[in-house]
Amino acid sequence: MGQSAMIQTSGTGKPRRLHRGPGRALRTHGAFYLMLFIPLVYFAIFKYGPLVNAQIAFKDFMALDGVWGSPWVGLKNFGTFFSSIYFWELLRNTLGLSLGKLVLGLPLAVLLAIALNESSLRRWKHFAQTVAYLPHFLSWVVMYGVLLLLLSPDEGLLNEIAKALGGKETNFLQDPTWYPIVVILSDIWKETGWSAIIYLAAMTGIDTGLYEAAEVEGATRVQRIVHITLPGIRDVVITIALLRLGTILDAGFHQIFMTYSVPVYSTGDIIDTWVYRQGILDFQFGLATAVGLFKGLIGLGLVWTFNRIARRYADAGLF
Amino acid sequence: MRKIKSGDEFVFQIVMNGILALVLALMILPLWRVFILSVTPFKYIDSSFGLFVNPLRWTSEAYAQFLSHPSFLHAFRNSLIIMFGGLAINLFMTVPMAYALSVRSLPGRRALNFVAMVPYLFNPGLIPSYLVVTGLGLQDNLLAVMIPGAIGVANMFIMRNFFMEIPMDFMEAARIDGASELFILFRVVLPLSVPIMLTIGLFYAVGHWNEFFTPILYLNDANLQPLPVLLRNILMGLNTNEYVEYDTFSQVSIQSLKAASIFITMLPMMMVYPWIQKHFVKGSLAGGIKG
Amino acid sequence: MKRKIPATLVALALCLATALSAGAQTKGLVDVELWALQAVTEAGPPPADWVGYQIIRDKLGINLKLVLQPSSFTDQDTKISVSAASNSLPDLFGVNRDMLMKIARQGLVAPVDNLLPLMPIRTRTHYSDAGRNRLVTLQGKMYGLPDPGAMDRVEGVVIRKDWLDKLGLPVPKTLDDLYKVAQAFTTKDPDGNGKDDTYGFGAFFESSGLSSAGFGRRFDYILGAFGVPGVWNFESAAKFQFNFRDPAFRDAVEFIKKVNAEKIIDPSWSAPNKDEFRARWKQGKFGIMWEQFAALATKANYKDFDANFPNGEWIAINPPTGPKGYSSNGLDIAQARIYAVSQKAVKAGKGPAIAKLLEWMATDEGYYLCGFGVEGVNYKKDAKGFITMDGISPDNAYTAKAMQPLTQLRNMVYINNDIELAVRYPTYKSANGKLMDPLAFWKFFKNSPYTEATGAGFIDPPTNVNDFKRFYEENLLKFALGQTELNDKTWGDFVKGMDALGAKDIEKTAKAKLVDAGLL
Repeated sequence: MGQSAMIQTSGTGKPRRLHRGPGRALRTHGAFYLMLFIPLVYFAIFKYGPLVNAQIAFKDFMALDGVWGSPWVGLKNFGTFFSSIYFWELLRNTLGLSLGKLVLGLPLAVLLAIALNESSLRRWKHFAQTVAYLPHFLSWVVMYGVLLLLLSPDEGLLNEIAKALGGKETNFLQDPTWYPIVVILSDIWKETGWSAIIYLAAMTGIDTGLYEAAEVEGATRVQRIVHITLPGIRDVVITIALLRLGTILDAGFHQIFMTYSVPVYSTGDIIDTWVYRQGILDFQFGLATAVGLFKGLIGLGLVWTFNRIARRYADAGLF
Repeated sequence: MRKIKSGDEFVFQIVMNGILALVLALMILPLWRVFILSVTPFKYIDSSFGLFVNPLRWTSEAYAQFLSHPSFLHAFRNSLIIMFGGLAINLFMTVPMAYALSVRSLPGRRALNFVAMVPYLFNPGLIPSYLVVTGLGLQDNLLAVMIPGAIGVANMFIMRNFFMEIPMDFMEAARIDGASELFILFRVVLPLSVPIMLTIGLFYAVGHWNEFFTPILYLNDANLQPLPVLLRNILMGLNTNEYVEYDTFSQVSIQSLKAASIFITMLPMMMVYPWIQKHFVKGSLAGGIKG
Repeated sequence: MKRKIPATLVALALCLATALSAGAQTKGLVDVELWALQAVTEAGPPPADWVGYQIIRDKLGINLKLVLQPSSFTDQDTKISVSAASNSLPDLFGVNRDMLMKIARQGLVAPVDNLLPLMPIRTRTHYSDAGRNRLVTLQGKMYGLPDPGAMDRVEGVVIRKDWLDKLGLPVPKTLDDLYKVAQAFTTKDPDGNGKDDTYGFGAFFESSGLSSAGFGRRFDYILGAFGVPGVWNFESAAKFQFNFRDPAFRDAVEFIKKVNAEKIIDPSWSAPNKDEFRARWKQGKFGIMWEQFAALATKANYKDFDANFPNGEWIAINPPTGPKGYSSNGLDIAQARIYAVSQKAVKAGKGPAIAKLLEWMATDEGYYLCGFGVEGVNYKKDAKGFITMDGISPDNAYTAKAMQPLTQLRNMVYINNDIELAVRYPTYKSANGKLMDPLAFWKFFKNSPYTEATGAGFIDPPTNVNDFKRFYEENLLKFALGQTELNDKTWGDFVKGMDALGAKDIEKTAKAKLVDAGLL
């Protein structure tokens, strides 16, 4: 029996009803609502509480007056953000970097997970896996130093190689054309190993009986990966992709902050770094919150759209 | 271990392990360089991508500066408390929610999922969250660091996903036998979910272990500071060293100190992870079906 | 509503707590929470049995709760920011000027003018410098207590004397001289190691706030040679304007561009990384820089350079004079370590207690205890009253690692008198037997030309200051790096762009304000 056969839903995609009396159904579901009770209280206080305070996005926040006493200013804070001469550039940079990381990073993480899953050299792959996730622990403070060693114009490794081959040096970190590439590739380098863990965990949950059956029927290893492994982790991939789409406008503040410089603002300045500079130059909490709400709105739009597609074509999705 | 059955299999293993070798090479060189930095005395630090410093020259000075710090053990202890306490709270809150939301027949499920997702997308920022936490009087309380992040929405959704993949027959069988839902959760579902529990647990634990921002905000009492804050203060303190008349904190270059602090932070995870890896065994679900 | 319920509970809890603690607050002890600026944060606060706490409790009737702020300025600002935003600032806290002004405008800190008479000794020793006091004044009232913690004119131009000697070059006096020396440093292997690995100039991009926008402070001596250091021209009301309008400013940019194109400046100059900069001069990468005297010459900071180059030597030189004879080491902006009192504390009647605490710190007893420890145990005084470590075991010396918690409040008591300076910046012998005297650098810098620019701190940033600053810096750096061609058209576009962002209005408003305040 294939695994997909087990999670069967009726033809219309509606969940099966338990064929018990209404009292039993209510009692059954009641237990679940009980499980949800404390988490929902937590959500109310710690997730929605701050959202209530987020009204300062529409106010001119005065600490003395607090959240409720500060005066309303409507969309003024949003206006400050939208009317910045850099607004479109910030949006473009943020989306570009984020999508770049997602589109390149996710498949690579899956590929790494597959390699780890399929390799039959146990000690070797455990070692590789550990080394692969370690970069996740390097802070960008330290990573900047490593990037300098590789990319600095006079002594960086890449430039040494270029010069040896007769080329000329490039200041990768301060060239607006190169900087986004450096950002995307270094992030992938740092996070692929860690991201692969979750896919690997998903792969271990796939019924080995499926593989055996397929082998008996003469499928090659590649065919087994394509037809069993990938579909087996499909739902996890969709969930993670949707989650990342929802936060697409968070392009990695710490990374950019530690590695950018004025010459690469045109392609490296993202929404969050702009807001950060705005914050240290002025006491504008309303603005920061307004931008946060804006990012959320865009994220919501993206998640909604792609969630519908996921539900329609793959019967998966966040909600 | 599977025996190599054919040329096809052999080539396949070459490719797979080749990918791993490539990944290993790419990852390990910079990591090794950072490690070397942490043990190189200032005299020998240069700007080239030096990977080979004579081991006889290695110095443990950078590590010593951190480890010999009078507050080190204390901060370490605080970090352990935050990590284990926080992890317990995380699992206690995340697991029931993830499981309940994985039940396809739950009325209002879609709405609940949406409710859970919204705050994840809309991050209202620092001040609104700070106001809530301080409004509850949690300053100078380790709970201020452990509770606000009790449920990571992404982690919850991923866990929910895994629960959804467990064949319903398991739960059905238990229900037929008259088991309560709570019993099913603990005795049926969780044992089948060891990989995901370990993975999400790892994510939460690492998050707590590296946490420095919320402690800076909410913990004034120096006795409560966890390890990342101590390390950060030491490193940042060197940045303001224009007025340092006390020369006890800059024996090695600041790059070495930064590198050493990374490894100190990494070390517990590196020790724990192999233990977790053992449980990532293929087909952990398989046995249950027949049973 | 969900938010109000916890607030009500907290209010009830507070009432209960106050009622209970009223019993505990016998003997008229006032609770004062002090957030001190870091001395050595990671060393931790003084132990519970510190004699200082006892004296403060018994003599002054104050129950002091001491919190050390985080080491990094950003973290400090964040912490104060959030406390301010939630109207929960501590009673007495250290804060930088920009943040102080922001929260003072919100009414969260109390004016301190009426506290000064309550602490006469301290006011005399700490708060009688008009320049510093002006820093914390808003609408005629002082909103902070400006301690003389930070010294002034602490930075200047220094050059590698051993490199000059090796190449047989005289000490450069004009900008042209300096340029030629930089070329020689880059091409003629001044360190004699046979490798082409040295540069002339070295700097990093250090800009924060509107008044240091542009290339940043590390280049002001070059801009100064053209008569345009910093962002503004403060010479007189008639001449007041943005420096970029001055044709000499463009010349300065051309100079930097030339220097960059010819690669006689260390290429990491355009990145904002101070650690890299300091590491690189210690590794002997460049020979001309603008640096702070203690960061250069105190034993702790010099020893790495000394280990690498035992015969290396830096000397201070006057900033170079430009084609029209101008020279300047940079902007002379009054500095202070500021402590503020929260409005809440004053409302709760804690003002007099806070004044008493600060006054005590200015008396001999408080000064020596907080600054150096216990006499005879952590330090001794010699015949002239100077601090000495003779007869003190190294483990107990106040500079020892274990003793550091005892002097965490030193930055609140230091007044930069000769006693302090002598012990904070002692002379020592370098690797090759030279006598090193950090204070000599400072004395030199103090006597070199600086540009008075206190007005810079009084100009309110415009609402679009973020974009304004970015446009300004991005264009300047692109010109200097050669990423944008520098010609009449492009420069004209740049000026037009600045005006489009409101440069003229900002000038008008700033001028009016400064004239009003008597600063122009």
